[in-house]
Amino acid sequence: MADAPVIDVAGLQKRYGSIDAVRGLDLQVPRGSIFGFLGRNGAGKTTTIKVLLGMTRPSGGAARVFGLAADAPGASVEIRRRTGFVSEDKELYDFMTVAEIVRFTAPFFPRWRRDLEERYMRSFELPPDAKVKTLSRGTRTKLALLLALCRGAELLVLDEPTAGLDPAAAEDVLQTLVVHAGRDETTVFFSSHQIAEVEQIADRIAIVDRGRTALAGALDDLRESFRRVQLVFDREAPQASFRAAGVARVRRQGRVLTVIASGGAEPILDEARALGPVSVDVGPVTLKEIFLETVASEE
Amino acid sequence: MLWYKAWLETRWRFVIGLAILMVSACGTVFAYPQVMRLMPLASTVHATGELGRRVQEAVELAREYRGYIWSQWFRQNLIQMWTVFAAILGAGGLLSQSSGGGALYTLSMPASRARLLGVRAAAGLGELLALAVVPSLLISLLSPAIGDSYSPVDALVHSACLFFGGAVFYALAVLLSTIFPDIWRPLAIALAVAAVIAIGEMFVRDVWPYGIFSLMNGETYFRSRHIPWAGLVVTTAAAAALLYGAASSLERQDF
Repeated sequence: MADAPVIDVAGLQKRYGSIDAVRGLDLQVPRGSIFGFLGRNGAGKTTTIKVLLGMTRPSGGAARVFGLAADAPGASVEIRRRTGFVSEDKELYDFMTVAEIVRFTAPFFPRWRRDLEERYMRSFELPPDAKVKTLSRGTRTKLALLLALCRGAELLVLDEPTAGLDPAAAEDVLQTLVVHAGRDETTVFFSSHQIAEVEQIADRIAIVDRGRTALAGALDDLRESFRRVQLVFDREAPQASFRAAGVARVRRQGRVLTVIASGGAEPILDEARALGPVSVDVGPVTLKEIFLETVASEE
Repeated sequence: MLWYKAWLETRWRFVIGLAILMVSACGTVFAYPQVMRLMPLASTVHATGELGRRVQEAVELAREYRGYIWSQWFRQNLIQMWTVFAAILGAGGLLSQSSGGGALYTLSMPASRARLLGVRAAAGLGELLALAVVPSLLISLLSPAIGDSYSPVDALVHSACLFFGGAVFYALAVLLSTIFPDIWRPLAIALAVAAVIAIGEMFVRDVWPYGIFSLMNGETYFRSRHIPWAGLVVTTAAAAALLYGAASSLERQDF
Protein backbone atom coordinates (compact mmCIF):
# COMPACT_ATOMS: atom_id res chain seq x y z
CA MET A 1 0.00 0.00 0.00
CA ALA A 2 3.07 2.26 0.21
CA ASP A 3 2.65 3.25 -3.43
CA ALA A 4 -1.09 3.77 -3.25
CA PRO A 5 -2.02 7.38 -3.98
CA VAL A 6 -2.85 9.49 -0.96
CA ILE A 7 -5.78 10.96 -2.88
CA ASP A 8 -7.60 8.80 -5.40
CA VAL A 9 -10.61 10.30 -7.14
CA ALA A 10 -12.51 8.51 -9.91
CA GLY A 11 -15.42 9.90 -11.89
CA LEU A 12 -16.30 12.39 -9.16
CA GLN A 13 -19.51 14.32 -9.69
CA LYS A 14 -21.14 17.07 -7.68
CA ARG A 15 -24.35 18.75 -8.65
CA TYR A 16 -25.88 21.77 -6.89
CA GLY A 17 -29.46 21.98 -8.11
CA SER A 18 -29.17 22.37 -11.87
CA ILE A 19 -25.46 23.24 -11.79
CA ASP A 20 -22.79 20.62 -12.32
CA ALA A 21 -19.84 21.83 -10.23
CA VAL A 22 -17.81 18.67 -10.83
CA ARG A 23 -18.43 16.41 -13.82
CA GLY A 24 -16.52 13.15 -13.71
CA LEU A 25 -13.22 14.32 -12.27
CA ASP A 26 -10.28 11.87 -11.99
CA LEU A 27 -7.25 12.50 -9.83
CA GLN A 28 -4.40 10.57 -8.27
CA VAL A 29 -2.04 12.31 -5.86
CA PRO A 30 1.08 10.23 -5.07
CA ARG A 31 2.46 10.14 -1.54
CA GLY A 32 5.16 12.74 -0.91
CA SER A 33 4.33 14.90 -3.90
CA ILE A 34 3.61 18.61 -4.02
CA PHE A 35 0.56 18.56 -6.22
CA GLY A 36 -0.78 21.71 -7.88
CA PHE A 37 -4.47 21.66 -8.66
CA LEU A 38 -4.88 24.28 -11.36
CA GLY A 39 -8.02 25.70 -12.78
CA ARG A 40 -9.95 28.83 -13.52
CA ASN A 41 -12.39 30.29 -11.02
CA GLY A 42 -15.43 28.03 -10.84
CA ALA A 43 -13.62 25.07 -12.38
CA GLY A 44 -14.52 22.80 -9.46
CA LYS A 45 -11.35 22.99 -7.36
CA THR A 46 -12.92 24.07 -4.08
CA THR A 47 -15.84 21.66 -4.46
CA THR A 48 -13.41 18.78 -5.00
CA ILE A 49 -11.48 19.76 -1.87
CA LYS A 50 -14.69 19.95 0.15
CA VAL A 51 -15.65 16.46 -1.01
CA LEU A 52 -12.22 15.13 -0.03
CA LEU A 53 -12.66 16.49 3.51
CA GLY A 54 -16.26 15.36 3.96
CA MET A 55 -17.68 18.88 3.91
CA THR A 56 -19.76 18.19 0.83
CA ARG A 57 -21.24 14.89 -0.31
CA PRO A 58 -20.52 13.78 -3.87
CA SER A 59 -23.40 13.20 -6.28
CA GLY A 60 -21.50 10.39 -8.00
CA GLY A 61 -18.14 8.73 -8.41
CA ALA A 62 -15.66 7.92 -5.68
CA ALA A 63 -13.18 9.94 -3.65
CA ARG A 64 -10.71 8.18 -1.36
CA VAL A 65 -8.07 9.72 0.89
CA PHE A 66 -5.52 7.41 2.56
CA GLY A 67 -7.63 4.62 1.03
CA LEU A 68 -10.67 5.75 3.07
CA ALA A 69 -13.98 6.74 1.48
CA ALA A 70 -14.34 10.49 1.89
CA ASP A 71 -18.14 10.35 2.00
CA ALA A 72 -18.32 7.85 4.88
CA PRO A 73 -18.80 9.90 8.09
CA GLY A 74 -16.54 7.72 10.27
CA ALA A 75 -13.78 7.48 7.67
CA SER A 76 -14.04 11.21 7.06
CA VAL A 77 -13.20 11.93 10.70
CA GLU A 78 -10.07 9.77 10.36
CA ILE A 79 -9.13 11.56 7.11
CA ARG A 80 -9.36 14.93 8.84
CA ARG A 81 -7.31 13.67 11.79
CA ARG A 82 -4.45 13.05 9.35
CA THR A 83 -4.93 16.16 7.21
CA GLY A 84 -4.10 19.83 7.57
CA PHE A 85 -6.44 22.23 5.80
CA VAL A 86 -6.42 25.89 4.85
CA SER A 87 -9.61 27.19 3.29
CA GLU A 88 -9.76 29.68 0.45
CA ASP A 89 -11.08 32.49 2.65
CA LYS A 90 -8.77 31.53 5.55
CA GLU A 91 -11.87 31.03 7.67
CA LEU A 92 -11.01 30.99 11.35
CA TYR A 93 -12.84 31.99 14.52
CA ASP A 94 -12.93 35.77 14.65
CA PHE A 95 -14.07 35.75 18.27
CA MET A 96 -10.96 33.94 19.48
CA THR A 97 -7.48 35.29 20.02
CA VAL A 98 -4.49 33.76 18.25
CA ALA A 99 -3.50 31.88 21.41
CA GLU A 100 -7.07 30.69 21.97
CA ILE A 101 -7.50 29.23 18.50
CA VAL A 102 -4.15 27.44 18.80
CA ARG A 103 -5.20 26.11 22.21
CA PHE A 104 -8.56 25.07 20.74
CA THR A 105 -7.06 23.22 17.78
CA ALA A 106 -4.12 21.38 19.33
CA PRO A 107 -6.02 18.78 21.43
CA PHE A 108 -7.82 17.43 18.35
CA PHE A 109 -4.55 16.21 16.87
CA PRO A 110 -2.53 13.60 18.76
CA ARG A 111 0.57 14.41 16.71
CA TRP A 112 0.38 18.18 17.27
CA ARG A 113 3.85 19.70 16.87
CA ARG A 114 4.58 22.01 19.81
CA ASP A 115 8.06 22.65 18.41
CA LEU A 116 6.63 23.90 15.12
CA GLU A 117 3.97 25.91 16.94
CA GLU A 118 6.64 27.81 18.84
CA ARG A 119 8.82 28.19 15.77
CA TYR A 120 6.05 29.51 13.51
CA MET A 121 4.61 31.77 16.21
CA ARG A 122 8.02 33.43 16.29
CA SER A 123 8.90 33.40 12.60
CA PHE A 124 5.43 34.50 11.47
CA GLU A 125 5.43 37.16 14.22
CA LEU A 126 1.92 36.18 15.32
CA PRO A 127 0.56 38.24 18.25
CA PRO A 128 -0.84 35.68 20.75
CA ASP A 129 -3.28 38.07 22.40
CA ALA A 130 -4.69 39.66 19.24
CA LYS A 131 -8.23 38.74 18.19
CA VAL A 132 -8.29 36.85 14.91
CA LYS A 133 -10.71 39.40 13.45
CA THR A 134 -8.09 42.14 13.86
CA LEU A 135 -5.39 40.34 11.86
CA SER A 136 -4.34 41.52 8.41
CA ARG A 137 -4.96 39.21 5.46
CA GLY A 138 -1.32 38.14 5.40
CA THR A 139 -1.11 37.47 9.14
CA ARG A 140 -4.38 35.59 9.04
CA THR A 141 -3.04 33.38 6.25
CA LYS A 142 0.09 32.69 8.28
CA LEU A 143 -2.02 31.76 11.30
CA ALA A 144 -4.13 29.43 9.14
CA LEU A 145 -0.94 27.89 7.83
CA LEU A 146 0.45 27.42 11.35
CA LEU A 147 -2.77 25.70 12.40
CA ALA A 148 -2.51 23.36 9.42
CA LEU A 149 1.21 22.63 9.60
CA CYS A 150 1.33 21.92 13.35
CA ARG A 151 -1.25 19.14 13.09
CA GLY A 152 1.53 16.70 12.27
CA ALA A 153 -0.51 15.83 9.21
CA GLU A 154 0.45 13.39 6.48
CA LEU A 155 -1.45 15.47 3.95
CA LEU A 156 -1.86 19.21 3.59
CA VAL A 157 -4.86 20.40 1.60
CA LEU A 158 -4.63 24.09 0.80
CA ASP A 159 -7.27 25.94 -1.15
CA GLU A 160 -5.70 28.97 -2.84
CA PRO A 161 -3.18 29.43 0.01
CA THR A 162 -1.73 32.67 -1.36
CA ALA A 163 -4.96 34.30 -2.52
CA GLY A 164 -5.02 38.00 -1.67
CA LEU A 165 -1.42 38.14 -0.47
CA ASP A 166 1.21 40.58 -1.68
CA PRO A 167 4.16 38.97 -3.54
CA ALA A 168 6.45 39.00 -0.50
CA ALA A 169 3.88 37.36 1.77
CA ALA A 170 3.00 34.84 -0.95
CA GLU A 171 6.67 33.95 -1.31
CA ASP A 172 6.92 33.45 2.48
CA VAL A 173 3.99 31.06 2.40
CA LEU A 174 5.35 29.08 -0.56
CA GLN A 175 8.80 28.76 0.98
CA THR A 176 7.32 27.60 4.26
CA LEU A 177 5.35 24.95 2.40
CA VAL A 178 8.33 23.68 0.46
CA VAL A 179 10.53 23.49 3.55
CA HIS A 180 7.81 21.79 5.57
CA ALA A 181 7.00 19.25 2.87
CA GLY A 182 10.67 18.42 2.35
CA ARG A 183 11.44 18.09 6.06
CA ASP A 184 8.37 16.15 7.17
CA GLU A 185 7.70 14.20 3.94
CA THR A 186 4.21 15.59 3.86
CA THR A 187 2.07 15.33 0.76
CA VAL A 188 0.86 18.77 -0.29
CA PHE A 189 -2.25 19.18 -2.41
CA PHE A 190 -2.95 22.80 -3.20
CA SER A 191 -5.33 24.51 -5.54
CA SER A 192 -4.47 27.69 -7.34
CA HIS A 193 -5.04 29.73 -10.40
CA GLN A 194 -1.64 31.40 -9.92
CA ILE A 195 0.35 29.49 -12.51
CA ALA A 196 3.70 30.95 -11.51
CA GLU A 197 3.47 29.67 -7.96
CA VAL A 198 2.38 26.23 -9.09
CA GLU A 199 5.34 26.14 -11.45
CA GLN A 200 7.59 27.27 -8.58
CA ILE A 201 6.80 24.55 -6.05
CA ALA A 202 4.75 21.73 -7.59
CA ASP A 203 6.24 18.52 -8.91
CA ARG A 204 2.93 17.23 -10.24
CA ILE A 205 -0.14 19.05 -11.49
CA ALA A 206 -3.68 18.51 -12.63
CA ILE A 207 -5.51 21.09 -14.71
CA VAL A 208 -9.21 21.02 -14.04
CA ASP A 209 -11.71 22.73 -16.26
CA ARG A 210 -15.49 22.74 -16.05
CA GLY A 211 -15.45 20.01 -13.43
CA ARG A 212 -13.22 17.60 -15.34
CA THR A 213 -9.53 16.81 -15.30
CA ALA A 214 -8.24 18.21 -18.55
CA LEU A 215 -4.59 17.31 -18.01
CA ALA A 216 -2.56 15.64 -15.26
CA GLY A 217 0.95 14.42 -14.72
CA ALA A 218 4.45 15.19 -13.52
CA LEU A 219 5.32 18.79 -14.29
CA ASP A 220 8.67 17.87 -15.87
CA ASP A 221 7.00 15.27 -18.10
CA LEU A 222 4.40 17.78 -19.23
CA ARG A 223 7.04 20.38 -19.97
CA GLU A 224 8.95 17.74 -21.92
CA SER A 225 5.99 16.58 -23.94
CA PHE A 226 4.59 19.99 -24.81
CA ARG A 227 6.47 21.73 -27.61
CA ARG A 228 5.98 24.87 -29.61
CA VAL A 229 6.75 24.51 -33.33
CA GLN A 230 7.06 27.87 -35.04
CA LEU A 231 7.03 28.00 -38.84
CA VAL A 232 8.04 31.23 -40.61
CA PHE A 233 7.05 31.67 -44.26
CA ASP A 234 8.19 34.17 -46.92
CA ARG A 235 4.51 34.75 -47.62
CA GLU A 236 1.26 34.73 -45.68
CA ALA A 237 1.22 31.58 -43.52
CA PRO A 238 -1.04 28.95 -45.13
CA GLN A 239 -4.16 27.45 -43.63
CA ALA A 240 -3.00 24.14 -42.24
CA SER A 241 -4.53 21.15 -40.57
CA PHE A 242 -2.30 18.46 -39.14
CA ARG A 243 -3.09 14.77 -39.21
CA ALA A 244 -0.56 13.89 -36.49
CA ALA A 245 -1.90 13.23 -33.02
CA GLY A 246 -1.17 15.65 -30.18
CA VAL A 247 -1.69 18.94 -31.98
CA ALA A 248 -3.20 21.08 -29.24
CA ARG A 249 -3.46 24.30 -31.20
CA VAL A 250 -2.57 25.94 -34.50
CA ARG A 251 -2.36 29.72 -34.70
CA ARG A 252 -1.75 31.85 -37.85
CA GLN A 253 -0.43 35.35 -37.50
CA GLY A 254 0.90 37.02 -40.65
CA ARG A 255 3.82 34.98 -41.96
CA VAL A 256 4.07 32.91 -38.77
CA LEU A 257 2.28 29.64 -38.06
CA THR A 258 2.57 28.41 -34.46
CA VAL A 259 1.70 24.85 -33.50
CA ILE A 260 1.46 23.70 -29.89
CA ALA A 261 2.01 19.96 -29.69
CA SER A 262 1.21 17.94 -26.58
CA GLY A 263 3.03 14.77 -27.66
CA GLY A 264 6.41 16.21 -28.59
CA ALA A 265 7.41 17.95 -31.85
CA GLU A 266 8.61 14.94 -33.83
CA PRO A 267 5.23 13.64 -35.02
CA ILE A 268 4.35 16.92 -36.73
CA LEU A 269 7.73 18.05 -38.08
CA ASP A 270 7.43 16.18 -41.39
CA GLU A 271 3.99 17.64 -42.00
CA ALA A 272 5.25 21.09 -41.02
CA ARG A 273 8.22 20.99 -43.39
CA ALA A 274 5.98 19.89 -46.23
CA LEU A 275 4.28 23.29 -46.00
CA GLY A 276 7.51 24.93 -47.26
CA PRO A 277 8.45 27.32 -44.46
CA VAL A 278 11.69 29.29 -44.59
CA SER A 279 12.44 28.29 -41.01
CA VAL A 280 11.21 25.77 -38.43
CA ASP A 281 11.90 26.46 -34.80
CA VAL A 282 11.06 24.00 -32.00
CA GLY A 283 10.96 25.38 -28.45
CA PRO A 284 9.72 24.63 -24.93
CA VAL A 285 6.32 25.68 -23.68
CA THR A 286 5.70 27.36 -20.33
CA LEU A 287 3.16 26.03 -17.85
CA LYS A 288 1.10 29.12 -18.51
CA GLU A 289 0.90 28.21 -22.20
CA ILE A 290 0.11 24.59 -21.37
CA PHE A 291 -2.65 25.77 -19.07
CA LEU A 292 -4.09 28.21 -21.57
CA GLU A 293 -3.94 25.71 -24.42
CA THR A 294 -5.50 23.00 -22.28
CA VAL A 295 -8.32 25.22 -21.10
CA ALA A 296 -8.84 26.66 -24.58
CA SER A 297 -8.93 23.22 -26.21
CA GLU A 298 -11.56 22.16 -23.65
CA GLU A 299 -13.70 24.99 -24.95
CA MET B 1 -12.33 21.97 23.35
CA LEU B 2 -15.62 21.99 21.49
CA TRP B 3 -17.19 22.87 24.86
CA TYR B 4 -14.87 25.82 25.12
CA LYS B 5 -15.83 27.02 21.64
CA ALA B 6 -19.55 26.56 22.35
CA TRP B 7 -19.13 28.59 25.53
CA LEU B 8 -17.25 31.38 23.75
CA GLU B 9 -19.92 31.52 21.04
CA THR B 10 -22.86 31.77 23.42
CA ARG B 11 -21.44 33.35 26.55
CA TRP B 12 -22.76 36.85 25.93
CA ARG B 13 -26.27 35.65 25.19
CA PHE B 14 -26.12 33.58 28.38
CA VAL B 15 -24.64 36.31 30.56
CA ILE B 16 -27.14 38.90 29.34
CA GLY B 17 -30.00 36.45 29.93
CA LEU B 18 -28.76 35.61 33.40
CA ALA B 19 -28.36 39.28 34.30
CA ILE B 20 -31.86 40.16 33.09
CA LEU B 21 -33.47 37.23 34.89
CA MET B 22 -31.62 37.95 38.14
CA VAL B 23 -32.67 41.59 38.08
CA SER B 24 -36.22 40.46 37.39
CA ALA B 25 -36.05 37.96 40.29
CA CYS B 26 -34.87 40.73 42.63
CA GLY B 27 -37.70 42.97 41.42
CA THR B 28 -40.26 40.25 42.00
CA VAL B 29 -39.14 39.71 45.60
CA PHE B 30 -38.82 43.35 46.59
CA ALA B 31 -42.16 44.31 44.99
CA TYR B 32 -44.07 42.00 47.34
CA PRO B 33 -44.37 44.45 50.30
CA GLN B 34 -45.78 47.03 47.88
CA VAL B 35 -48.24 44.44 46.52
CA MET B 36 -49.42 43.66 50.06
CA ARG B 37 -49.95 47.36 50.77
CA LEU B 38 -52.13 47.63 47.66
CA MET B 39 -54.09 44.47 48.45
CA PRO B 40 -57.04 46.30 50.14
CA LEU B 41 -57.61 48.15 46.87
CA ALA B 42 -58.00 44.87 44.97
CA SER B 43 -61.64 44.57 45.98
CA THR B 44 -62.39 47.81 44.11
CA VAL B 45 -61.19 46.37 40.81
CA HIS B 46 -64.14 45.21 38.66
CA ALA B 47 -62.91 43.56 35.50
CA THR B 48 -65.01 41.06 33.60
CA GLY B 49 -64.32 38.12 31.32
CA GLU B 50 -61.01 36.24 31.09
CA LEU B 51 -59.05 39.33 32.16
CA GLY B 52 -61.16 39.79 35.25
CA ARG B 53 -60.86 36.15 36.14
CA ARG B 54 -57.06 36.30 35.84
CA VAL B 55 -56.82 39.50 37.89
CA GLN B 56 -58.98 37.96 40.58
CA GLU B 57 -56.93 34.80 40.55
CA ALA B 58 -53.66 36.77 40.82
CA VAL B 59 -55.03 38.73 43.75
CA GLU B 60 -56.08 35.55 45.54
CA LEU B 61 -52.70 33.92 44.91
CA ALA B 62 -50.83 37.00 46.13
CA ARG B 63 -52.39 36.75 49.58
CA GLU B 64 -49.71 34.13 50.29
CA TYR B 65 -46.05 34.68 49.43
CA ARG B 66 -45.72 31.22 47.86
CA GLY B 67 -48.72 31.93 45.65
CA TYR B 68 -47.36 35.35 44.70
CA ILE B 69 -43.96 33.94 43.70
CA TRP B 70 -45.56 31.23 41.61
CA SER B 71 -48.02 33.61 39.97
CA GLN B 72 -45.59 36.45 39.26
CA TRP B 73 -42.32 34.64 38.78
CA PHE B 74 -42.81 31.07 37.61
CA ARG B 75 -46.05 31.67 35.72
CA GLN B 76 -45.18 35.01 34.15
CA ASN B 77 -41.76 36.67 34.27
CA LEU B 78 -39.47 33.65 34.29
CA ILE B 79 -41.38 31.51 31.82
CA GLN B 80 -41.70 34.32 29.26
CA MET B 81 -38.12 35.54 29.40
CA TRP B 82 -36.66 32.07 29.71
CA THR B 83 -38.52 30.91 26.58
CA VAL B 84 -37.14 33.89 24.66
CA PHE B 85 -33.60 33.05 25.76
CA ALA B 86 -34.15 29.37 24.92
CA ALA B 87 -34.84 30.41 21.33
CA ILE B 88 -31.93 32.89 21.33
CA LEU B 89 -29.47 30.29 22.62
CA GLY B 90 -30.74 27.64 20.19
CA ALA B 91 -30.46 29.85 17.12
CA GLY B 92 -27.24 29.90 15.10
CA GLY B 93 -24.57 27.27 14.80
CA LEU B 94 -22.62 25.66 12.01
CA LEU B 95 -24.92 26.51 9.10
CA SER B 96 -25.16 30.19 10.02
CA GLN B 97 -21.35 30.28 10.16
CA SER B 98 -20.98 28.87 6.64
CA SER B 99 -20.38 32.30 5.15
CA GLY B 100 -17.13 33.52 6.68
CA GLY B 101 -18.00 32.41 10.20
CA GLY B 102 -15.49 29.63 10.54
CA ALA B 103 -17.75 26.70 9.61
CA LEU B 104 -15.14 25.20 7.28
CA TYR B 105 -12.53 25.44 10.02
CA THR B 106 -14.85 23.60 12.41
CA LEU B 107 -15.60 20.99 9.75
CA SER B 108 -11.89 20.43 9.16
CA MET B 109 -11.56 19.16 12.73
CA PRO B 110 -11.61 15.40 13.28
CA ALA B 111 -15.06 15.44 14.87
CA SER B 112 -18.31 14.10 13.47
CA ARG B 113 -21.13 16.53 12.78
CA ALA B 114 -23.25 14.72 15.35
CA ARG B 115 -20.58 15.42 17.96
CA LEU B 116 -20.32 19.06 16.89
CA LEU B 117 -24.05 19.52 17.25
CA GLY B 118 -24.25 17.41 20.40
CA VAL B 119 -21.66 19.46 22.25
CA ARG B 120 -23.24 22.74 21.22
CA ALA B 121 -26.70 21.52 22.22
CA ALA B 122 -25.44 20.24 25.55
CA ALA B 123 -23.66 23.51 26.27
CA GLY B 124 -26.83 25.45 25.43
CA LEU B 125 -28.96 23.19 27.61
CA GLY B 126 -26.51 23.66 30.46
CA GLU B 127 -26.83 27.41 30.12
CA LEU B 128 -30.62 27.14 30.01
CA LEU B 129 -30.60 25.03 33.16
CA ALA B 130 -28.57 27.74 34.85
CA LEU B 131 -31.01 30.38 33.57
CA ALA B 132 -33.87 28.44 35.17
CA VAL B 133 -32.21 27.53 38.46
CA VAL B 134 -29.97 30.44 39.46
CA PRO B 135 -32.55 33.28 39.41
CA SER B 136 -35.12 31.03 41.10
CA LEU B 137 -32.74 30.14 43.90
CA LEU B 138 -31.97 33.83 44.20
CA ILE B 139 -35.62 34.30 45.19
CA SER B 140 -35.17 31.82 48.05
CA LEU B 141 -32.00 33.64 49.02
CA LEU B 142 -33.52 37.13 48.97
CA SER B 143 -36.91 36.38 50.51
CA PRO B 144 -35.71 36.72 54.16
CA ALA B 145 -34.76 40.31 53.31
CA ILE B 146 -38.48 41.18 53.15
CA GLY B 147 -39.39 38.99 56.11
CA ASP B 148 -40.68 36.04 54.07
CA SER B 149 -39.30 32.72 52.95
CA TYR B 150 -39.47 30.65 49.83
CA SER B 151 -38.46 27.00 49.84
CA PRO B 152 -35.34 26.22 47.76
CA VAL B 153 -36.90 22.81 47.04
CA ASP B 154 -39.93 24.52 45.50
CA ALA B 155 -37.59 26.74 43.50
CA LEU B 156 -35.68 23.73 42.20
CA VAL B 157 -38.82 21.75 41.32
CA HIS B 158 -40.34 24.67 39.42
CA SER B 159 -37.02 25.29 37.66
CA ALA B 160 -36.84 21.64 36.67
CA CYS B 161 -40.39 21.78 35.29
CA LEU B 162 -39.44 24.88 33.32
CA PHE B 163 -36.25 23.34 31.98
CA PHE B 164 -37.54 19.90 31.04
CA GLY B 165 -40.81 21.26 29.74
CA GLY B 166 -39.32 24.16 27.79
CA ALA B 167 -36.24 22.46 26.36
CA VAL B 168 -38.46 21.63 23.41
CA PHE B 169 -38.35 25.30 22.29
CA TYR B 170 -34.56 25.28 22.47
CA ALA B 171 -34.44 22.04 20.48
CA LEU B 172 -36.83 23.52 17.91
CA ALA B 173 -34.50 26.51 17.43
CA VAL B 174 -31.54 24.14 17.07
CA LEU B 175 -33.40 22.10 14.44
CA LEU B 176 -34.41 25.23 12.51
CA SER B 177 -30.79 26.39 12.64
CA THR B 178 -29.79 23.30 10.66
CA ILE B 179 -32.28 24.27 7.96
CA PHE B 180 -31.90 28.04 7.61
CA PRO B 181 -28.44 29.54 7.04
CA ASP B 182 -29.07 32.61 9.19
CA ILE B 183 -29.75 33.23 12.85
CA TRP B 184 -32.96 35.26 12.50
CA ARG B 185 -35.42 32.84 10.90
CA PRO B 186 -34.84 30.06 13.46
CA LEU B 187 -35.23 32.61 16.24
CA ALA B 188 -38.36 34.19 14.78
CA ILE B 189 -40.05 30.88 13.95
CA ALA B 190 -39.28 29.32 17.36
CA LEU B 191 -40.64 32.40 19.14
CA ALA B 192 -43.71 32.49 16.91
CA VAL B 193 -44.44 28.82 17.64
CA ALA B 194 -44.08 29.48 21.39
CA ALA B 195 -46.38 32.52 21.17
CA VAL B 196 -49.05 30.65 19.23
CA ILE B 197 -48.98 27.76 21.72
CA ALA B 198 -49.13 30.15 24.70
CA ILE B 199 -52.10 32.03 23.26
CA GLY B 200 -53.82 28.80 22.27
CA GLU B 201 -53.38 27.36 25.77
CA MET B 202 -54.91 30.47 27.28
CA PHE B 203 -58.15 29.87 25.38
CA VAL B 204 -58.43 26.13 25.97
CA ARG B 205 -57.13 25.85 29.54
CA ASP B 206 -60.60 25.18 30.98
CA VAL B 207 -61.16 22.18 28.73
CA TRP B 208 -57.56 21.05 28.22
CA PRO B 209 -55.36 21.75 31.26
CA TYR B 210 -52.31 19.85 29.95
CA GLY B 211 -50.58 22.54 27.94
CA ILE B 212 -46.81 22.87 27.73
CA PHE B 213 -46.76 26.24 29.48
CA SER B 214 -48.82 24.84 32.37
CA LEU B 215 -46.22 22.11 32.56
CA MET B 216 -43.35 24.60 32.42
CA ASN B 217 -44.74 26.76 35.24
CA GLY B 218 -45.21 23.70 37.45
CA GLU B 219 -48.89 24.41 38.18
CA THR B 220 -49.54 20.80 39.17
CA TYR B 221 -46.74 20.93 41.72
CA PHE B 222 -47.89 24.30 43.02
CA ARG B 223 -51.48 23.17 43.54
CA SER B 224 -51.04 19.52 44.58
CA ARG B 225 -47.31 19.01 45.26
CA HIS B 226 -47.24 16.36 42.57
CA ILE B 227 -44.50 16.47 39.98
CA PRO B 228 -45.97 16.10 36.45
CA TRP B 229 -43.71 13.22 35.46
CA ALA B 230 -45.72 12.13 32.42
CA GLY B 231 -45.71 15.57 30.87
CA LEU B 232 -42.02 16.08 31.56
CA VAL B 233 -41.17 12.73 29.98
CA VAL B 234 -43.21 13.62 26.89
CA THR B 235 -41.60 17.06 26.42
CA THR B 236 -38.12 15.70 27.11
CA ALA B 237 -38.69 12.98 24.52
CA ALA B 238 -39.97 15.62 22.07
CA ALA B 239 -36.87 17.74 22.66
CA ALA B 240 -34.64 14.70 22.15
CA ALA B 241 -36.49 13.86 18.93
CA LEU B 242 -36.02 17.42 17.65
CA LEU B 243 -32.30 17.31 18.46
CA TYR B 244 -32.01 13.96 16.69
CA GLY B 245 -33.73 15.54 13.70
CA ALA B 246 -31.28 18.43 13.88
CA ALA B 247 -28.32 16.02 13.82
CA SER B 248 -29.78 14.19 10.82
CA SER B 249 -30.45 17.47 9.03
CA LEU B 250 -26.91 18.72 9.68
CA GLU B 251 -25.45 15.43 8.43
CA ARG B 252 -27.15 15.98 5.06
CA GLN B 253 -25.98 19.58 4.59
CA ASP B 254 -23.35 20.54 2.03
CA PHE B 255 -20.97 23.31 3.05
